[in-house]
Amino acid sequence: MNENRRKILEMLSAGQINADEAERLIAALEKDQPAAAAANGAEPRQKPKYVRVLVEDTGQGRSANVNVRVPMQLLRAGVRLTGLIPDHARNHVNQALREKGIPFDLNQIKPENLEEVIDQLAELTVDVTDKDAKVRVFCE
Amino acid sequence: MIPITSTVRIRDGQGRGFWIPLFLVWLLLLPIVLLLLPLAFLACLVVRVNPFRALSVFGQIIGALRGTDIQVEDAAGSVLVHIPRSFV
Repeated sequence: MNENRRKILEMLSAGQINADEAERLIAALEKDQPAAAAANGAEPRQKPKYVRVLVEDTGQGRSANVNVRVPMQLLRAGVRLTGLIPDHARNHVNQALREKGIPFDLNQIKPENLEEVIDQLAELTVDVTDKDAKVRVFCE
Repeated sequence: MIPITSTVRIRDGQGRGFWIPLFLVWLLLLPIVLLLLPLAFLACLVVRVNPFRALSVFGQIIGALRGTDIQVEDAAGSVLVHIPRSFV
């Protein structure tokens, strides 16, 4: 039971409002709630468009900054490159990875799978701070 | 679509610098690319890759560079590579 509905019922039990008024108030509340829920649902999480890498190096009296912005679109295009790898080469790579103890299948890299990864990247932030340098990787 | 209006700016520590619009670089590279294209085509056939598909993916990668920004600066100078989001 939400807070507003509870308040209406409390007002009814305290005799501040009668049953008809309580009914009208609850009906009005229910009319507002789907709109509010839709508004909350209509706020989709934004897909990240860029990967940002910021490096700030202040060690040894020097000051160096690196600021890189790479579009996610490049990641998608890169995945399409795997489609160009011939089957026999792909099998060789998979075999070599398995021998190294990495059970990774190149055939599973597909654009649709990548979309899931990109969705999750929205919340990725990597912060590395040292006394001389600071590195920050995030998506925006 | 290749990035035509992209720029590369290089500056030294004293503030002197220059920028290179990439369309000039593309113009200079064009004859080399035209020479290399048949070789790339043959290489694709040798490794059993569809050359037209390879060309398409390569184009997609170049196109996906839109919005790339690389900025490196320190006391000795700075380098900036900027590819705008829309290619003109």
